[in-house]
Amino acid sequence: MDCIPIAPGDEIAIEKARRGDPDAFRVLVDRHARAVFRLAFRMTGNEIDAEDMVQETFLKAWKQIGRFDGRATFGTWLHRICANCAIDHIRARKRKQDLQMVPRAVESAAGSDPVSRVPTGAPSPERLAASAQVTAILGSALDELSEMERTAFVLRHYEGLSVDEISAALGVQPGAAKHSIFRAVHKLRRVLEPAMNLR
Amino acid sequence: MKHLSEEDLILLYYGEPGVSNSDARAHLAECEQCKEAAEALSRTLDLCSEWTAPEPRIGFERGAWARLEPEIAGKRSAWLFPRTWMAAAAAVILLVGAFLLGRGSRAPRPTSPSIMAGLSSQARARILQISLADHLDRAGRLLTEISNAGDTASLDFAAERDRAQDLVDEGRLMRQTLSREGASPTLTFLDEVERFLLEVANAPDSPSPSEVRELRQRIGATSLLFKVRIIESNLRTQGRKL
Repeated sequence: MDCIPIAPGDEIAIEKARRGDPDAFRVLVDRHARAVFRLAFRMTGNEIDAEDMVQETFLKAWKQIGRFDGRATFGTWLHRICANCAIDHIRARKRKQDLQMVPRAVESAAGSDPVSRVPTGAPSPERLAASAQVTAILGSALDELSEMERTAFVLRHYEGLSVDEISAALGVQPGAAKHSIFRAVHKLRRVLEPAMNLR
Repeated sequence: MKHLSEEDLILLYYGEPGVSNSDARAHLAECEQCKEAAEALSRTLDLCSEWTAPEPRIGFERGAWARLEPEIAGKRSAWLFPRTWMAAAAAVILLVGAFLLGRGSRAPRPTSPSIMAGLSSQARARILQISLADHLDRAGRLLTEISNAGDTASLDFAAERDRAQDLVDEGRLMRQTLSREGASPTLTFLDEVERFLLEVANAPDSPSPSEVRELRQRIGATSLLFKVRIIESNLRTQGRKL
């Protein structure tokens, strides 16, 4: 699990940032940017989009910092913003793909996901490695999930958020968050279990 | 008890409340079919955990801030803040003072900033080197104090915070001057120092021992104090040669 840590001393920087101090906000960016990047990468599947998500997340955080009530940690609050940015981003990406009428399997092979950007052609020893194949399949499988399924699964599996925290982050009922996780796991198993024999 | 569903097994895997955990575990201990299903699910989900996100490139935070800063601070002119004016005045005095000291004067005399206008590029470079060395000396002293702060003492950090903020303001003016000559390792290093100073400037009035320890560890992990001392020494040597 890869939780955003609770950085000590965030309170002072948050308070100063609320009063419009950019230097204080920079401290928060320095402390949390890497964790937000990791979440954004898992949500979007590639580093360029993840960097854009980091940018968007912190810009929104700056604009909305007056609304941060301190009930959750600052890191958890950033999680929520990043997850919602990522959902919008994935939706937009899918709309674009639909407009371009590119089959998803073809698109994912074309490089929206870093793990599926392994060069094709003559198979290298690395490419033949079973673990790499499974990793590539996992990347593609995640890409097959709906934005809500992927978000809920990433927050549960990789970020360690509970169903209740996920429902609060995404603004959905706990039942809906839970079922998104169920559907995500079901779809992942369908793709991954045949690949398990490769290992 | 009837067999566990895939949903029950997922909730169990993640330790979520749902099916009664004790009942489910008791059932799993007895039912081979459910036990195999749970193991298969675990294998798949454990496999998912092998997908690790890459670490962002070195300097990622600096790059992120460089993109954010214009949007965040865009319309707020730093020159509107009194602290910036004070720092600017301090920097001018510092530059002129360093120049006069460099010429062997015993004490800096009040001098008009216009004196700078008539200086050769070599003299300006020398002043800058010495001013930078003085700035790093002050930063180094602050870092030394933090490095030597005890774990148990209840620290009053208010003075350190003010000193750090003054050093941030002073360092920025120097970076502005340096940046006119383009990117340089010194510029990058000043940015690294500033990031640490901002952490100190935003620390609580009375940080906990763990917070002080974290600052100390950060100084150690990045060899910041060591680098400050080396670069300060190099700048003084270069300044003397000019």
